[in-house]
Amino acid sequence: MGLLSDPSLPTQNKFVVSLAKHVRKLCYAIYLLGVVWFCCLALPEFNHSTYLSENALSPGLVYPEIRIDAHRLAVQLLEELQRERQDHRSTTPHAWIAAKFRELGLETHIHNYTLRYPFGGGKEFHGKNVYGILRAPRIGSTEGVVFSAPYRAPSSVHVDLAPSVPLLMAFADFARRKNYWAKDLIFLVTEQEQLGMQAWLEAYHEGDRSDDGLSANKYLWAGNLPARAGSLQAALNIEVQDLSDIEYVDVKIEGLNGKLPNLDMFNLVQRIMAKEGLTSGYKQAHKQQLLKKRRRQSSSNYELNLQRMVTMLLSQSSGVPTGNHGLFHRYRIDALTITASKRQQSHHKSNSNSAAALLKAIEGIARSLNNLLERFHQSFFFYVIINNDRYISIGDYMPALMAMVASIFIKAYLTWSSLASAGKPTPYGSVMIYLTASLMIGYLGNVLPLQPYFLELPLSAAPLTTCTVASLTIIGIVMPFVVILPPGGLELLHIALLLIYGCSLIVIGLLNFALGFFVGLVTVPLIIALNPIEQQKTNPLSFITFLLNPLIVIYGIVLVMTFYQFPELSIQNILLRAASASMDASAFALIDSVIYGNWLYFAVCTAFLPLWIVTWSLALSKRRLIFRHIDEDMEDLDEIDGLLEEDAADQNKLKTN
Amino acid sequence: MKRCDMALGYLLSIFLILGAGHAQINIDSNEQFHEELVIRPLAGDHVNTYFQFTTRWHYGENESLFHTQLTPRVIAELLQQFDVKELHIGLTQGLWRYETWGYPVVETTGGAEMWAWFNGPNLTDQEVNRQWTQLANVFSGVLCASLNFVDQTNSIAPKYLLRPQFMSGGGDENQSKFIRYSSLPREIVCTENLTPWKKLLPCGSASGFASLLNSAYVHNTKFHSLGLTVRTLCEHPENCVLELTQTANLVYDLRLLEQSTGDFSLRRLFGMGLNGYCELAGSSQIYVQLNEQGQRYQLVPEPTKEIKTTRGGHTVIYGVYDMQKQFEGQGERLFNIAWVTPKGDRKQRLGGGQHQFLIPPPLNVHRYLLGQGQERGRIATELTNNHYEPLPILLQELIPWYVHAYLHTLRIRSRNLQRHEYTNSKKDLPFQVLHYAPGKQRELPTHLEIAFELPPNSAALITIEVDYLLLKWLEYPPDANHGHYIGSAILSTLLPIARNYTAIPIDGHLFEHSFNATRPSYVLSLHTEALIVSLPTPDFSMPYNVICLACTVVALAFGPIHSVATKLIIVERQSAAPKNFLKKIIFKLTKRKSNSQQQQQQTEEDKAIGGTETDIDPTDQRES
Repeated sequence: MGLLSDPSLPTQNKFVVSLAKHVRKLCYAIYLLGVVWFCCLALPEFNHSTYLSENALSPGLVYPEIRIDAHRLAVQLLEELQRERQDHRSTTPHAWIAAKFRELGLETHIHNYTLRYPFGGGKEFHGKNVYGILRAPRIGSTEGVVFSAPYRAPSSVHVDLAPSVPLLMAFADFARRKNYWAKDLIFLVTEQEQLGMQAWLEAYHEGDRSDDGLSANKYLWAGNLPARAGSLQAALNIEVQDLSDIEYVDVKIEGLNGKLPNLDMFNLVQRIMAKEGLTSGYKQAHKQQLLKKRRRQSSSNYELNLQRMVTMLLSQSSGVPTGNHGLFHRYRIDALTITASKRQQSHHKSNSNSAAALLKAIEGIARSLNNLLERFHQSFFFYVIINNDRYISIGDYMPALMAMVASIFIKAYLTWSSLASAGKPTPYGSVMIYLTASLMIGYLGNVLPLQPYFLELPLSAAPLTTCTVASLTIIGIVMPFVVILPPGGLELLHIALLLIYGCSLIVIGLLNFALGFFVGLVTVPLIIALNPIEQQKTNPLSFITFLLNPLIVIYGIVLVMTFYQFPELSIQNILLRAASASMDASAFALIDSVIYGNWLYFAVCTAFLPLWIVTWSLALSKRRLIFRHIDEDMEDLDEIDGLLEEDAADQNKLKTN
Repeated sequence: MKRCDMALGYLLSIFLILGAGHAQINIDSNEQFHEELVIRPLAGDHVNTYFQFTTRWHYGENESLFHTQLTPRVIAELLQQFDVKELHIGLTQGLWRYETWGYPVVETTGGAEMWAWFNGPNLTDQEVNRQWTQLANVFSGVLCASLNFVDQTNSIAPKYLLRPQFMSGGGDENQSKFIRYSSLPREIVCTENLTPWKKLLPCGSASGFASLLNSAYVHNTKFHSLGLTVRTLCEHPENCVLELTQTANLVYDLRLLEQSTGDFSLRRLFGMGLNGYCELAGSSQIYVQLNEQGQRYQLVPEPTKEIKTTRGGHTVIYGVYDMQKQFEGQGERLFNIAWVTPKGDRKQRLGGGQHQFLIPPPLNVHRYLLGQGQERGRIATELTNNHYEPLPILLQELIPWYVHAYLHTLRIRSRNLQRHEYTNSKKDLPFQVLHYAPGKQRELPTHLEIAFELPPNSAALITIEVDYLLLKWLEYPPDANHGHYIGSAILSTLLPIARNYTAIPIDGHLFEHSFNATRPSYVLSLHTEALIVSLPTPDFSMPYNVICLACTVVALAFGPIHSVATKLIIVERQSAAPKNFLKKIIFKLTKRKSNSQQQQQQTEEDKAIGGTETDIDPTDQRES
């Protein structure tokens, strides 16, 4: 007999049956294994030290040629810019920037874009980016590298970054006089934070789509660019707070939806900064470390590592980029931001780094990028930085999430096999309808806030979004009380939930590990604990499930953050402030998703909300106990013997329970 | 006998003239050589230097084609071996910027480009293909370029765009002409191409203008292009002229020169002054543009002559230096020309090169790739017409086979220059001519030619959507993640005015023939940028190799394991089939007949066994 075609192999294994009795213990064990593995990753034995894979980069191979006169030029330009800024309190001095670029001998262009803000009846915002292209002598404009600096008007609420633009210009002036460039250099000054960068990138890669109706972005009209420089290979975003006294350089890497630049790019920046004697690091790590050391010496290395790991994952999980570099990643352009921070206390004058060192570092980075023969493709795109020179690769951190998901799938299999052996009814149709209904609710959350008749309401984005999502959640909360599944339905729904939940965790974990991991960390124990077969009157599970409602979770997170930021406020004030902040947060998530393509809002509405509704109904485990006799009547009418028998068995079991 | 006499005659004449030791050496009126150098200051602190070396060889029917004086032997052999009547080769590094530099004298695209016209009796398409590849191989050796990569997968036969510039002589009008075009955008042009190119010159690099072309300086320019053009002009088959034009077009960026002050000289551009002229040359002239961007300089020494040329309503003044006069009657010295900014203007000029009023050339073109990801994209070509009259446009695209272009997505949208957005789909510009030869994977490139009229003061955006192909793993070039190239598109138009237009008219062969050469219209051809597409590329790393290996092993193992797992093994009894061939046939025929009868029997027996799946040979049945 053939091995595969042998029908005599039993589907019901004794081993499986005995395992099924200890489902939860087994699943908790696997879950804990995942968590322990994750915690182990912070140990030096489990992570690796960084290295450069791409030999073409050869950082620091050339001596820096940029001289102190470039720094002087930057200072002089900053003085000019400060005079301009007195006349442009809340706008960008485009004319001055463009004139300076032209004077440096760059091919200068201005890019116009329009934001059609959809909420509250609609408004239009106009913006302009200025960019100058240095046409490289060694290439026919087929490849380019971007150096960008954000411009912030004096009226901006953010930290003043005025020196970034003069620094960029000083570097452009230096680069213009060199003939070794093998990639066009684009010097880009954006305004309105990430919006300008998004518009520029979209215009660069999508071109004029004004009439196609295919436009990826209905709200941001990026227009077209008058000139381009081929396929972009890499980008460096430069933020400088001060030209004379730089305490440290912060390297920001997290991009849109938790994407990261190639690890080689990070290592390159890190090495060149170290070579130029600049204190630089990821996530102000340096600063935190110093502060910690001053406070207490006791905290071990392991704790610090774990802390940094978790901070990185937390900032990735929201999917919001930490700087303008983050928007490049979706076009497969490796980019990061270097932020040079001003020294806060001026008494420590000995270790002063001026922008001259930073200019040298930028030159070094530019020359290494210029060496690149191929696009960044070696090294890692998925990693967690533990220290400035240590990382965890995807192969090491993925098992933590996989263990969690595995526990869910094992539970699904064992529950299914015990269900199959018990011979209970399986009302597939009604379960499918129930699932579809909850998915529809999630879908509505995606679509409803953007409907034209809602947009025309004189409501701003925050109340509109919150109202929509809240009303959908209420429908979800009420659903299990109104719609009650036929017998056997809850068990089937339970298995469906386990499968869908496991799959969506895998998918989300692949796209954004941090988000998947944190969601898994919080919800997997609850899902393991769920058991619709056991009926309990006062169910602590349903309370926990209620707490894990996406809206409540958002409120909770915002509440904690508010508490840490404004500890001086009264509790009532904090609660109110957190409420309005979480309303804003959900609105921003929606705006981010329609303008930048951040899919956190989409994931919450499409996956988490429906899953929560299903979990909620399972936690409540509403059965047709009250309407039992009606059921029986109906089944009598149907005169299906088998069903009746099963129903009786079901009842018996319930009684014994 | 006659040939011998002629050779003797040449030798004698050479000796006589060398003995006389004087400048004008007239070897043979049948062969002429001219060298020209044009220097034009451009906007934005750039300088264009254009070298042209022209050799003309008037040969009759009786003359031996192997016997040449000034024409290189390899060019003469062309006529013997191939039916080539016209050949263009360009080796270029960089991109000509039309907006700021105007139009160049000769047009080339980045990398290597080559096209040729074939004309001869009894030529067939296959024969032309064969000759074309051979020709490319010959010049691959001659110029040390990778032209040997030219084959059917990257060659096309342009239908409208490239017009012949040769004359085949009367009487063979019914002979069909063939053309082949190919470009290799990945080719990098370097010293190894310059040296063999210089060797084709009669004086080599020893003397004359070619001595200025030192590779260290030539390759530090922003744009450099070496060209080689051969054409035959025959009045009758017996009376022909072979014309070889070698061009070197360079654009210097003055800011890249050391200690740049904005002033420059021959010595600073080329590393040395001019050491004389080629003694074999009929003329050696340097033309220096004096007006427009040249106006801001003072020349030292002053040119001996000034020529004012008006062409198509556009006036240019050239200062002329005749080298043969400059070097008359003196010993060895180096000749230098310096461009000096007058002292009063210096302040204004420094860093202000861009501020001067720039009239953009009438037609401009750019090309770029749109879309994200490695699956599909759009090629967009944007043309701008600054002129007040409509321009007829002819555009040729050569899209390599690894990119699939979809003709139904081809669109030409237009906009007025005052507007920022293009018109909607209903107002697309109509094609007047459309020629499309679809590509074939690994065999033929896609060839597209379109013609349309570009309205005055407007821009047109031509887009076509493409899919990127997943290549076989051995088809990736080294440095696979660098991306694959799509060569530049060529665009041709008829300009009504000659602003920024410097090309030599088709009936001339020297740069001076473009002076005062007013025509009803001027044929202009432009090249766009080349593009890099990143095709889906596997990471050629250790895990990738392991996956490839593991998949192979699994594929090999799958067959046997599957058959072991699913098949039933039955020991077959020896069959009664006879060994004789004739009997075998008869046996088979009878078996087929009896098969149907036995079918019933078999099924009955199967039922008796209990429906188990047994595959029993009919022969077994018969025996039982």
